[in-house]
Amino acid sequence: MRRPAKTCPVCESGARVLDYKDDRTLSRFLTERGKILPSRLSGMCARHQRQLATAIKRARQLALLPYIKGHTA
Amino acid sequence: MNRRYETVYIFDSALDEPAITEKLNRFHALLTKDGKGTLTNVAHWGKRTMTYKIKKKDTGYYVVAEFSTAGDLLPEYERAVKLDEGVLRYMCVEAAREQPKPVVAATAAPEEEELEEEEA
Repeated sequence: MRRPAKTCPVCESGARVLDYKDDRTLSRFLTERGKILPSRLSGMCARHQRQLATAIKRARQLALLPYIKGHTA
Repeated sequence: MNRRYETVYIFDSALDEPAITEKLNRFHALLTKDGKGTLTNVAHWGKRTMTYKIKKKDTGYYVVAEFSTAGDLLPEYERAVKLDEGVLRYMCVEAAREQPKPVVAATAAPEEEELEEEEA
């Protein structure tokens, strides 16, 4: 049984670059604890998965995304 | 050669808008001095809640500035931003380039035809 080929959600949307300032889009690719989803689950192509990782890390520095979701100091 | 950069500032939300604009003008004057750089866009996002506390503050005033400048002006500018107590955090990165669209197969097709003719 072959699984149907997953398509990259970013390629499909027609965008070529991921923006670190767009926290709403980026938050779709986080687990419920705030980890970056692996490409195995996100279905991203390699290029966009690399861009995604950098974008999420930048957004975290700017407090647009949490490092750990549900964590209160 | 000038590169394009963008900086996201997070200001203390206790500051009022004129004070923030005054600080921004001071920072950006460092980038555009001697006609070495140009400011292309400044977007005020305004007050928003941060996902975690920075310097014991819950909210910050976000400003995004896009500019192109000579790289040797950046260290002085970043020093000024770091020294400012009103800036909770900032991040200066090279602006994302719009990546070229992949070449469509149709434009590559004529070359193949030429090859075939040569063979014949």
